[in-house]
Amino acid sequence: MKNLSALSVISVSLLLLFLLVAPVFLSTYWIITLTEILIMSLFAMSFNLLFGYTGLLSFGQAGFFGAGGYFAVLMLLHGPESLWAALAAAIVGSCILSIVIGWLCVRLDEIYFAILTLGFGMMLFTIAHNWRSVTGGSDGLGNFILPTVSFIHWRISLSHPKHFYFLVLAVTTLGAGLLWRVVRSPFGLLLRAARENSNRIDFVGANVRSVRLLAFVIAGVLAGIAGALFALFNRIASPEMLHWSFSGKAVLMTILGGSGVLIGPGVGAAIFFVLEHLITMFTTNWMIILGAILVVLVLIFPKGVLGSALNILSRKK
Amino acid sequence: MDAFLINVLNGLSWGMLLFLISMGLTTVFGVMGVLNFAHGSLFMLGAYICLQLMRWSGSFWIGLLLGPPVVAALSVFIERFLLRPLYDRDASFQLLLTFGVMLFLDDGVRILWGPAYHVVNPPEMLAGIVHIFSQSYPVYRIFLVILGPLVGIALWAFFTFTRWGKILRAAAMDRQMAEIIGVRVPILFTAVFAFGAWLAALGGALAAPHQSVGPAMGEHVIIESFIVVVIGGMGSFPGAFIGAIILGLLNSFGTTLMPNIHNALPYILLTVILLTRPKGLFGGET
Amino acid sequence: MKKSIVICCVFLFGLLMAGSGTASASEKPVKIGFVYIMSGPFATYGQFAKQGAELAIDEVNKAGGINGRKVEALFEDSTGKPDVGIRVIRKLVYENEVDIVMGIDSSGVASAVAPVMNELKTPLIITHAATPDVTGAKCNRYTFRISLNVNQNMAMAAAVASELKAKTWTTAGPDYSFGYQSWEYFQKYLSKKKPDAQFLPVSEVAFSPSATTDFSSFISKIMNSKADGVLISLWGGNLIDFVRQAGDMGFFDGKREVLLTLGAATEVLYALKEKMPEGLWVGTRYWFQANDTPINKAFVDAYFKRYAVYPSYNAHGAYTAVKAYMAATVKANSVEKEKVIDALEGLSLDLPVGKITIRAEDHQAVTDGVWGKTASDPNMPIRVLKPIKFFSGKDITPPVDETECKMKK
Repeated sequence: MKNLSALSVISVSLLLLFLLVAPVFLSTYWIITLTEILIMSLFAMSFNLLFGYTGLLSFGQAGFFGAGGYFAVLMLLHGPESLWAALAAAIVGSCILSIVIGWLCVRLDEIYFAILTLGFGMMLFTIAHNWRSVTGGSDGLGNFILPTVSFIHWRISLSHPKHFYFLVLAVTTLGAGLLWRVVRSPFGLLLRAARENSNRIDFVGANVRSVRLLAFVIAGVLAGIAGALFALFNRIASPEMLHWSFSGKAVLMTILGGSGVLIGPGVGAAIFFVLEHLITMFTTNWMIILGAILVVLVLIFPKGVLGSALNILSRKK
Repeated sequence: MDAFLINVLNGLSWGMLLFLISMGLTTVFGVMGVLNFAHGSLFMLGAYICLQLMRWSGSFWIGLLLGPPVVAALSVFIERFLLRPLYDRDASFQLLLTFGVMLFLDDGVRILWGPAYHVVNPPEMLAGIVHIFSQSYPVYRIFLVILGPLVGIALWAFFTFTRWGKILRAAAMDRQMAEIIGVRVPILFTAVFAFGAWLAALGGALAAPHQSVGPAMGEHVIIESFIVVVIGGMGSFPGAFIGAIILGLLNSFGTTLMPNIHNALPYILLTVILLTRPKGLFGGET
Repeated sequence: MKKSIVICCVFLFGLLMAGSGTASASEKPVKIGFVYIMSGPFATYGQFAKQGAELAIDEVNKAGGINGRKVEALFEDSTGKPDVGIRVIRKLVYENEVDIVMGIDSSGVASAVAPVMNELKTPLIITHAATPDVTGAKCNRYTFRISLNVNQNMAMAAAVASELKAKTWTTAGPDYSFGYQSWEYFQKYLSKKKPDAQFLPVSEVAFSPSATTDFSSFISKIMNSKADGVLISLWGGNLIDFVRQAGDMGFFDGKREVLLTLGAATEVLYALKEKMPEGLWVGTRYWFQANDTPINKAFVDAYFKRYAVYPSYNAHGAYTAVKAYMAATVKANSVEKEKVIDALEGLSLDLPVGKITIRAEDHQAVTDGVWGKTASDPNMPIRVLKPIKFFSGKDITPPVDETECKMKK
């Protein structure tokens, strides 16, 4: 059980400060890339609540991510032109979906859980892909008006990369903060207990399924919020956002960064994008290198880059 | 009536290919407990190597005969050096490793042979057309429909009657016990993995004249074969057979009868089975 | 948790270092960003387009470049997905600082990307994607199209179909906007020419996912339907697979009229060779044997000499976009984006396909088109078109008020 230490506060503040100040010296391209990194960080961290903390590997989180995106866009197309309404739609929609799907999935273990979540994710994908009249089919849902944010008497347009960046930064920070609170709470302890030994926690009076379901819903809602941001960011919600290969990205980033640390997936997301940028400067064959890196990581650094680095640092003490 | 029959044949020919691939996947899972994400890539590799051997030798049969063993050899390397270190660890890591291998192979194929699709012609002997009632149907597909069950029966006979087959089934049922009675489990695992890869590659080589050979072949097939394995029951051969036929027929009839949701049907079936009978239709036995 | 954040900061600083370095060259080249599908079933399209683009750029550079500066090409893969398309175009504009973007194969990507060009304030010349929307309901100042669109191609298809015996039509197409819109516009134009033509309802036609490689169930569906005419808007790898498998199943036995809206793509003809049946009506956006003008001959000869294949319409699209850009920069005497846009509007020039004019009101090129019947030619490695039906741009291009484009001029 880790306590808040001065070092921890300083580190968090430094990181936040850096992220707040970044738009001043980064080029537009990097602001856009950093925005995407933050969105994917939120998605991957929500995935990791299930994977790292609860011990559940879900290959269907993209279903909630994408659903959040579609609900947000649908709200913007058919409802008020408000960012808050869009986010609310994403939250409510992904909440309902994750309660229903989660209730069905948490009764299964391990591999079966992974495959069932994959199945549900893909069912959501086929809905998005086939229901042309509502979701635009395989072309996706775009052509909505990007809402302006009204803050007291300011009207902030979200089409400026910097403005959108700050929105995403705010939401991601809040999301990470929420996860941090959840993980440090008694409920968080229960999660980890359920991961270690799901039989024993029945003896302390907790219900494994309820614990898992709650984690599933929290993860699903955060994924939905990330998806809403992603759809707004790309100006389109497309079915690929729900495909199992998109879930795979969250898995990848978590492994890259380390599943044992809360912001590990965030670091993994950053590594993923920076690597892609660097490697594609020399070659278009970036997937093969990514595959090789993943293989090496799983074999040698099971705790991910961040996790292993932490290990080394703590050993040096 | 002929429409019905053609749909059945369509479903069965694809189903038989799926059966071969899923057999490999389910064997590996049944004996080793590993769900191999890269299995679809091995299928694809089988098609490409067959294509390449055909280009060099001019004969499809050489490609069909020699291609799968090449892929099996590669899989020995994968199992021995990449997968084996992970057996003691959580199953998720094995899944993730095979995911990485899949990314590697899928892109590797694109680098070696280019991103375009290649057309492979069926061999002379099987290239014709047959007339069923008033419709024409390619001989090659009928060949697939017949070949599938034959391979299935041969494998079933292998597992039931031969010594090796019995050892494999024993190892699948209880790994520790098998080790105690002297079975060299590590070598067994390598052999099983190679066998699974051989089956996948055989499926790939057989698929090459049937559909275009391209870098995305693996992705499509891996999900369908996962579903077949789960529906049929992990580790079960009759399960893989029935599961593959169901999926093949769903695909061909679904296109005509339920065009709006036909690509959701496999997932719906998957979900129903996992929720009602997670061990699958024939699961729980080897 | 704490140390992780320290590491994270260090890492992000590294990111920052990677990002903030920019090259400052004294003589900056003119940069053109090309976005095509370079992977998957349509990868050959991207490859041929790249060839056409590179040929054009070499010719331009040999003639002194644009405004005296060398021209440089950057290619990105849209993978046919709208969000990837937006991502790579943002990269091209913000990171690579291209002066103009060209390309786009997929109509789905084009529809998503066209509105974004407004935010990026960079011109886009579409060279392939045919959805009418980008020069119609979604038209905007920054989006141009130099190639034939669905409106024009379906007007030709309907003209061809109206002279055939078939009465009941169905379609086989990819299940995204291009497939649906081709079918929609075909019905619209054919109904005008042949009021008694029948069309099968959506549940009985065959829209297939782009990832499909086994078309047998779709082929059976069509063969068992009541239709005696089929409009096939499948293209690229999908079309290659479909024709092969359909041929084996007796699809081309003469019981139905078959129109392949993009059947004369050399990517497809080279892949199929003799497996492409003869006597099928096929459309294209450009056919290399359609005219004998010196400009066309020069293009075809240069392309064949360099790549040992005849140019496809996608190669032609890329080639002509570069030439049009060149012409616009000469007219504007500048490479500045806004000035180039003004110069492109109303631009007329002679291209291998013929003379085109880029309409100022909707930014769509008015261009001539051809359809033809596939035939074999002992001197050619692929099927050729004989006879060829010629259509003039004016006849097939709908007037601006019918296109829903409301760009105020």
